[in-house]
Amino acid sequence: MTQTATRWQRTRSTRGDASQGRSQLTAYLYLLPALMIIVGVTYFGVFYNGYVSTLDWNGIDPAPKQTGAANYLKIAGDPIFWNSLSHIAVFGAITVIVQMVLGLGLALVFSGPIAGRGIYKALVFIPVVLAPAAISTAFRQFLRPDGQVNDVLQTVGLEWLQQAWIADPNFALYALAGVNIFQWTGFSFILYQAALSQIDQSNLEAAQLDGAGTWQTIRHIVIPTVRPTHLTLALTGVIGSLKTFDIVFLITGGGPGRSTEFLTTYIYKQSVMQFHVGYGAALSIVMLLLALSLTLVQTRIYKLDAED
Amino acid sequence: MFSRPTWRSRVVYQVLATILILPFALPLLWIVVISFEGAGAAANYNAVFTQTPFARFLVNSLLISIGTVALVFVCTMLAGYALGKLQFKGRELIFTGILAGLMLPGIALIVPLFTMVRRLGLFNNYLAVIVPLAAVLLPMTILLARNFMKGIPDELLDAAQIDGATSFGALTRIVIPLSRPIIAVVIVWTFLNSWNEFLLPLLFLQDTSFQAVTQVPTYFTSTYGSDVPKIFAALVLMCLPIVIAYLAFQKFFERGLTAGALK
Repeated sequence: MTQTATRWQRTRSTRGDASQGRSQLTAYLYLLPALMIIVGVTYFGVFYNGYVSTLDWNGIDPAPKQTGAANYLKIAGDPIFWNSLSHIAVFGAITVIVQMVLGLGLALVFSGPIAGRGIYKALVFIPVVLAPAAISTAFRQFLRPDGQVNDVLQTVGLEWLQQAWIADPNFALYALAGVNIFQWTGFSFILYQAALSQIDQSNLEAAQLDGAGTWQTIRHIVIPTVRPTHLTLALTGVIGSLKTFDIVFLITGGGPGRSTEFLTTYIYKQSVMQFHVGYGAALSIVMLLLALSLTLVQTRIYKLDAED
Repeated sequence: MFSRPTWRSRVVYQVLATILILPFALPLLWIVVISFEGAGAAANYNAVFTQTPFARFLVNSLLISIGTVALVFVCTMLAGYALGKLQFKGRELIFTGILAGLMLPGIALIVPLFTMVRRLGLFNNYLAVIVPLAAVLLPMTILLARNFMKGIPDELLDAAQIDGATSFGALTRIVIPLSRPIIAVVIVWTFLNSWNEFLLPLLFLQDTSFQAVTQVPTYFTSTYGSDVPKIFAALVLMCLPIVIAYLAFQKFFERGLTAGALK
């Protein structure tokens, strides 16, 4: 009995005996399946990328050429790479800000007396669960010059806003941002709704009795109180725009021209379509570094915010 | 919250809310309406099933999703339990190593995945999608499970131990039943991500008889030209299972999708 007891106990009564060795072994066994997958795919993948990024390789040639840092130097001087970064920045700024404003607006309005709130809420959230592949296909149609978006603009008397959208290099990126906003505002909305439900109602009532108008209440009580949510959304949004692939690939394919090229679509084109596997791997490593530094900034900001 | 609900404020709120949801509701409505146009609803939906391998795509997506959920579930329960409830050397290091995968953009792995899939001869094999998907999803699910299991009182495990349960017995008879809320989140989140996955099937399941439901639009456009109403009928059919699942398990979907942000 005691044997069984010490065998797998969360060894607070730590003794360096054989049974403890066995319990440690059990824990490693439990971790084995997950680690095999994560190490085998992710870690191996990252290291393999690192190796391939030093090659001039088409992915098939059995004797690829070692080129050292040549691929990275090429990236530094590659205008398509820098353009894709600026597209990601513009796309990220627009989507993050609009999704936050709309999400908070929705959460505030929905806290009022509304008939059919459940249905309204579901309609805003459904796009979040739909496949980006489905949404992209639908919006390719909606955003045509004779599509539904232009029809609506016509109906409400905003003809001057009509565009060729995804066919126009000056507007395609904004059209993609619009699709992203359609899909992801429900996410901001749900987070803000959860945050609003935490605000002490008596604070709000006190503000109202003091004669603060609705706008004042929102500005001085609501917006500062849900600050952690602003932070979360801003940071996940920035990393999200770095990762965006499906809607860009399926709606514009990075075009017209290169006007909506993202790092993701560029990696796909280089590695899969043009067989510049070494270059694709180097771009992947740069992307990993970008994601990693954004994550570090994120944790750093969270920490600073928690200390306030 | 901001005013006493007089009839006037009720009207204002209702009108505001209706205007605000239009940009979300209208495109959803259009998708359905367009699928009824052209040859008519019956003909369009019928054509999707009879003239294309759509049913095959549905089955493939279902197999991929079930496979991924099963694999992620087993790995997550075992790893979450070890990291949350057992003590062993290097626990924090391993945990950090797993968490590092959280920020990983899947597309940054296409070069190594291609090589692995080719070497292992896994083209047109569901595993080529299931295993990489699991690798991308596991860091999040393990984080969720580990945090939840950590909160289960040690006394319950001690009691089981005294009753002679093995550590695996304690996992299956105590920890897993108590973790039902987080298990629901893990399953819903994994299912959603595998059903909606576009890139991996695109890369590795190129044979028509293995393709996933997210390839349907591309397949249609290349094979049947642009018969828009039929494409939209296919869109409705491919979204329907997820929408139904969402309406049935709203809370788990919302929790699953926001859990990552709220950690």
